[in-house]
Amino acid sequence: MDFDWSPEEIAFREEVREFIAREMTEEVEGSIFIDTPPRIEFVTKMGKLGWLGMGFPEKYGGSPNPFPLAQFILNSELDRSGAPIIGKNVGTIASTIFNVASEEMKMEFLPMIFRNEGQWAITYTEPNAGTDLGSMQCRAIDKGDHFEVTGMKHYITSAHFCRWHWMALRTDPDAPKHKGISIFIVDHDSPGLSLSRMDTIGREGTTHRTNQVFFDKMKIPRARLVGELNKGFYYMMQALDYERFAILSFASRVRRFDHIVDWYKNVDFEGERPSDDPNTRRSLARMAARVEVGTMLERMAICKAQYEVPAVEAAMNKAWGASIGDEFAQLSLDLMGPFGGLWGGEHSPFEGGLADEYLMAGHARVAAGGVDTSKAIIARRLLGLPNALDKPKLPQR
Amino acid sequence: MDIKLTEDQTQLQDIASKFMDNHCTFDFVRKMEKDEGFGFCPDMWKQFADMGWLGIIVPEEFGGMGMSTLDMVVLVREMGRHLCPSPYLFTSVLAADVIAQAGTRKQKAALLPEIVSGKTIYAFAYQEYSRFFKPEHIKLQAKRDGDNFILNGTKLFVEFAEGADTIVVAARTGKANSQSGLTLFLVDRNSTGISIKHMPTMSRDRHYQIDFNNVEIPTSARLGKQSKGWEALEPSLHKTVIAFCAYTNGAGFEMHGYATKYASERVQFGRPIGQMQTIQGYLAQMIMELYGADMLTMFSAFQIDKARHTRGYVAKAKAFSAETVGHVMDVSSQIFGGMGYMEEQDTTLFLRRGKQYQLALGGTEYWEDVIAEEIIDREPVVLT
Repeated sequence: MDFDWSPEEIAFREEVREFIAREMTEEVEGSIFIDTPPRIEFVTKMGKLGWLGMGFPEKYGGSPNPFPLAQFILNSELDRSGAPIIGKNVGTIASTIFNVASEEMKMEFLPMIFRNEGQWAITYTEPNAGTDLGSMQCRAIDKGDHFEVTGMKHYITSAHFCRWHWMALRTDPDAPKHKGISIFIVDHDSPGLSLSRMDTIGREGTTHRTNQVFFDKMKIPRARLVGELNKGFYYMMQALDYERFAILSFASRVRRFDHIVDWYKNVDFEGERPSDDPNTRRSLARMAARVEVGTMLERMAICKAQYEVPAVEAAMNKAWGASIGDEFAQLSLDLMGPFGGLWGGEHSPFEGGLADEYLMAGHARVAAGGVDTSKAIIARRLLGLPNALDKPKLPQR
Repeated sequence: MDIKLTEDQTQLQDIASKFMDNHCTFDFVRKMEKDEGFGFCPDMWKQFADMGWLGIIVPEEFGGMGMSTLDMVVLVREMGRHLCPSPYLFTSVLAADVIAQAGTRKQKAALLPEIVSGKTIYAFAYQEYSRFFKPEHIKLQAKRDGDNFILNGTKLFVEFAEGADTIVVAARTGKANSQSGLTLFLVDRNSTGISIKHMPTMSRDRHYQIDFNNVEIPTSARLGKQSKGWEALEPSLHKTVIAFCAYTNGAGFEMHGYATKYASERVQFGRPIGQMQTIQGYLAQMIMELYGADMLTMFSAFQIDKARHTRGYVAKAKAFSAETVGHVMDVSSQIFGGMGYMEEQDTTLFLRRGKQYQLALGGTEYWEDVIAEEIIDREPVVLT
């Protein structure tokens, strides 16, 4: 057991920190989402350094992986400083293309992803297929040289600025539901595709936009089918294992918690100092231990990632990270009395940021498979308990 | 960075696990609860000595194995899995460490080999009549009288005191109600003026009240510098607390395993109850907490070995492991239904201990106060 970073890991971390110090601006900071021109540009610069394609072969535009934990260190540092992280483009899309797609598709798309050219939306969710993605109904009808799609998807983040959709559609309505889904790469400019805006909850200027996407006899060329027909569900699940881990670096939560502690250290309500109040102190202390546990679970997942995809550890990372994010958002408001709910103005701590944080915390609880989904994964894959949805099987006596 | 156990650690864990499987059965644990003797098994202690476990962290020059804190917690976690009753923590961790750190050359040469061989068993007398675990609350007086010190006062929750040969006593020689002004003494349990009374607990372990009534001890029994007792004790206490966390985490993992197994086998409503999402949610939440507590404990042990400032981490590990063991014992018992609360059911051995563990060596509030001091009152030390 060695919890220390190696000299090369430390050197790389320094390199990343220098990059962030050099390239980070106010316009880039503030969200892990890559959804504004300055943030897209920031990620493109990382692409130029070869940081997006780490571990992929050079012929696809990748670059050698300096060492197994490089990707994690990169994401952790980005997340800590509030920069956009290397998320779905590389974690979900490039990994799946690399693992299952044809050589032509790899040559066409991987270099583009690693240069951050053309943004992507992950287009899975439907009104009747949320946690239960296997129930998706939106069909792609096989017309020989192309597939035809009519229907809709929603909660599609990034769709309003994407160039491509990484889209899951039903290709066999008669097969068992997990065996009739396929993945396609869909050009956002395809005729028949249209958008409608959905806004996440929150204060003007701090919310995120997501989208409904509609398809009216949209055509997808057959060449845009990813991997094998009807294997899409399995590709998605595999990628989600990784995504849960990749998009949920814990570092930004540690940073935000530290800011809150700092605030409580110094604040003074006309002589009443929360830092002297045993209740406040113990509440923050208890939360500090729980935040530390998040760091530990993340560490466990990344160490496992050196050997295999850390599916269970990633689920723990996700469930704990999201729950803790919510717990301390709640705590920081609770400790502030009536001021916690302020959305700006003279008496508003963090200019209303804590209320924003509270509203945003919910997002983490449901993104990339909810907290409860993660627990179900732990129960099944680590503890070997039967899937709650299967027909009961009685234990052998 | 890599958190896999080394080959040596894996081997130690395997040996310990096998030994405990064979020797520390539930029947054995129950027998020790009702034992007429001291609540642990002298033969087992002898076997610990034969395997070198008693000197695991004792430096090699004094006959020990000179292994790391991390190695030691790997071993102790296996003891915890089996609820092994023994004075191991206070003899082979606390006493061994504090003697090795604060003892004179002479004390080390005389005392450490006797720990390693199993000849001397130690108890630790610290807690007094206080809800907290603060050195400030220690009142037991040690007064210099010529070549002797005279001890007067009362210590509580001294584990395995009756079976111990020597008691590590934290006494006040200086300023009252302060961290400074404490001195450590190694007191012969059979000294005149000592009276020992059992303090029954729900875990049926062996905690004792010790009354010191004009107990005369020679100045040579002093360990470390006069009135610098807390400085000498704190690092060793931290090591002991981390070992205790490993012990309770081990117990938690084991109980969780029984509950998981039961959930897969117990059929109600025509299916194993472990197929129900409520039960799965409980078990998943608990295993996450256990992994977290375990990692935090291992991390702290690693940092102790690197001699870094670990006070905040030890406090977090203890606060969280304590909360976890309590929670795991409670909720796992609930999964067993009515059976979980029957005296004859072996898992009740865990249930009775969970809360007791949570309260031992400083309860949650005490350690939360320590965390608060580390993150609020000073510049926090962040080990990455």
